[in-house]
Amino acid sequence: MKKIIFSALVMANLAAFAGGFQVNLQGVRSVAMGGAYVGLAHGPATTFFNPGGLTNIEGHRLSLGLNTIHPSISLQTEVNDNIDLTSSMSTPIYFYYGGQITEKLYVGFGINNQFGSSSSFEDNWQGRFIVQNISLKTFMFQPTVAYKIHDKISIGAGLVYTTGVFSYEKAVPLSSSSSADGKARLEGKANSISFNVGLYSKLIETDKIELGIGADYRSGMKLSLEEGLATFTNIPSSLTGTFPEQTNFKGEINLPSVTTAGLAFTYKFNEKNELTFVYDYALNGWSSYDTLAFDFENEATPDAKTPKNWKNAVAHRFGLEYKLDKLFFRVGTYYDQSPVEENNVSPEAPERSHMAPTFGFGMKVSDMIEFDISYINQRYSGETATGELGFEYKYNRRINVLSVSATITLGKNKNTSIEE
Amino acid sequence: MKKQLYFIVITLGLFSGCKKTAFETVERTSGTADFKQYISVGNSLTQGYQDAGLYEEGQSMSYPSIIAQQMKIAQPNMAEFRQPMVSGNGSGYMHLGYINGSLKPISSDDPGGYQPDGSWDAWGQAEKNQKFNNLGIAGVKLIQCVNTYSDDNTTNAIILGGLDVTVPIIGTNYTQDGNPFSRYLDFGEAEVNVPVIGNIGGTAKSYLDHVKESNATFFTCWLGNNDVLGYVVNGGTPNLVENNTIGLSVDLNALSDEFEFEEKYDEIIKAFKNQGAQGVCSTLPNVTSIPFVTTFTVASLKADYNYNKVWITDLNENVREATEEDYILLHASEGISNGRGTSQATPFTNYDVLDRDEATLAKNHTLKLNGIIRKIAGSYGYPIADMYTYMDNLSAGYTFEGIDMDISYIQGGTFSLDGIHPNPRGYAVVANEFIRVINAAYNSNIPKVSVGAYRGILFP
Repeated sequence: MKKIIFSALVMANLAAFAGGFQVNLQGVRSVAMGGAYVGLAHGPATTFFNPGGLTNIEGHRLSLGLNTIHPSISLQTEVNDNIDLTSSMSTPIYFYYGGQITEKLYVGFGINNQFGSSSSFEDNWQGRFIVQNISLKTFMFQPTVAYKIHDKISIGAGLVYTTGVFSYEKAVPLSSSSSADGKARLEGKANSISFNVGLYSKLIETDKIELGIGADYRSGMKLSLEEGLATFTNIPSSLTGTFPEQTNFKGEINLPSVTTAGLAFTYKFNEKNELTFVYDYALNGWSSYDTLAFDFENEATPDAKTPKNWKNAVAHRFGLEYKLDKLFFRVGTYYDQSPVEENNVSPEAPERSHMAPTFGFGMKVSDMIEFDISYINQRYSGETATGELGFEYKYNRRINVLSVSATITLGKNKNTSIEE
Repeated sequence: MKKQLYFIVITLGLFSGCKKTAFETVERTSGTADFKQYISVGNSLTQGYQDAGLYEEGQSMSYPSIIAQQMKIAQPNMAEFRQPMVSGNGSGYMHLGYINGSLKPISSDDPGGYQPDGSWDAWGQAEKNQKFNNLGIAGVKLIQCVNTYSDDNTTNAIILGGLDVTVPIIGTNYTQDGNPFSRYLDFGEAEVNVPVIGNIGGTAKSYLDHVKESNATFFTCWLGNNDVLGYVVNGGTPNLVENNTIGLSVDLNALSDEFEFEEKYDEIIKAFKNQGAQGVCSTLPNVTSIPFVTTFTVASLKADYNYNKVWITDLNENVREATEEDYILLHASEGISNGRGTSQATPFTNYDVLDRDEATLAKNHTLKLNGIIRKIAGSYGYPIADMYTYMDNLSAGYTFEGIDMDISYIQGGTFSLDGIHPNPRGYAVVANEFIRVINAAYNSNIPKVSVGAYRGILFP
């Protein structure tokens, strides 16, 4: 009898790890303005968006934000009229601090969840051989410094320590007389160190207008899994050599680098009324995602299949803010290009290039405290043809994101105090 | 401050728990077709034969029964789709064993094999007077389905229905076993020419007669595979059924004559047309898209079985070294484990090998017959489920619902252990292709089935 090798049968199409995982919710003011902030680089959130902008901080400022993401995704296939994806509400948070140390030296610190989501489908659903449950949670910690190298130019850099946990479950198409499908569960923890550098310039600053520009580069994150654990259940006993109950694996998940350039233009009508326009251009380096691979300790276990054809994706983000004394009215939109061809997108995160509107409102309660709230309403539908996954579907996707933040300002601007 | 918090909480509440993305139920329709009485004609593939046998579970997942189950969703008043069901193990079938740490296909008659069910020998008797929708017969050739020529009433009736006649007065009994898988249909009495007495019997009924009585409103026709396949899976060697006394002589493995094929295929399709039925005709798959043919090649024998040279017997009974264009058939696996074909003195037999000339003959014949099928279907206005092209495309490997499959033996996930017939998952793939063609031709929207809901090979 010929030796049976299950090279093709089995593993994950790990496309499941990527789409929809990036969370662009790092500052409520930014979220309300289409996600742009690199040229504005104004509040503590600039620790994340553009460390160079930390030099805009007056005194010491803290910002605490909470996002609530409500996804609702439904699929229709030629087999099932409707499949509702159960995605739990996710609540990425952030905390940012920025403060001035000396005349030219500023520091910042950030904690956030830049990637993460969890989705699952009903047991025995049609696409269970692609994905049954998936979850990724990340925490990033970023100590940061910024320096004014010139009256108009500052530079900032942060070290990003990322720690992440993921789990992924799918069905394995192997039947025995006692069980219709096998199951595979992959889980692991991973850490990485990456960096975030930014350049900021307040190019023009007069009584009437302000123009800030900035650029930022966040390096890709190589999350290396040293002690991943794969668990196989309901495997026919003759194949437990190939799919043992448990085996460790090593692997890497490469989360993309992000390069952004942006500007912010403010026109001051008078002391109380201002209009600000912001624009960011971002390039997400998803092509790095090509390299994802899992290597199982048990040699007979076939290695994971990697997704193909991921491309770098651009985003355009626009926003407007009208300041009326202590109130801020914000509106914006963004265009996100999808990094993957629609037909090859894993069904738990169907996506294509899309636009969405954003709204927000801010209020300065006192010199010390500001509250902000923002809302994104993302909805679109699409249809895929047969791709690498062999799974055609129509989808409706609707995601509401409500975000709130509080920003606290302590102390005074060092420059001012010196001059005084 | 408090007010703002309330506002936030209320807004959060509004956003959660809404499920506005759900799709509405699709309204199903049979379009311009009427599935009221769906009749499937064909051979082993149609009957649900797999793992070298007809057994209850396999039969319940025949592609026509899958299609019928889905048609009923589009047309709820469809009549029950009846199949002549066997019980349990039916004719007996192959399964996968696990012996000394390796997987091994075990035939029905091997020790520990899944032997025929106790009811198998009697299967078909009680069914003879019933009407069935699935008229598949494992092993049947198209040219056996229509009694056109003078000797058809003898040969076809005997091959399908068997022979058991006693000559009057003399009392001599003539018997010949017929195809066991056609026992559920009545083929009447064969016309037999007995020495001295002359013709006796002679009320033969043909498969075509059953088609004419089927009251079909819709049909699928996947007949003709065995008009090539018998030749292929026997390495081009004949299988003669002879009885000199009654003048019976037929080679069951011969490639069917194409003119006879055309005449008889036309009769079958015309019979459906005359009943006003709509339907689909299917082409015959390429002989090289089944693992029975493609599993053992010179390359695989050298790589996996340490062959230096591979010696074969070709169609002219000449022994020569095999080339990449020759196929060693799956039934040679026992011989392979005994080192057959390693030397010129112990070559693979003609029966073991579909050599390059035989393969070319069979391929060309398939193309000819497919041309005939297309022409006749077209002349009656019936669409084609082009299984030739479809299976050819699948040969390179394919993915359904995240399941990677190809046509390789066992691990490919498409075919059953006999290497010729699909497993239930493979039959589901076939059913979906028929459904696609039906929907496109008749503006119906029969839902497809989930390929993953049907099992592949059962592993121990």
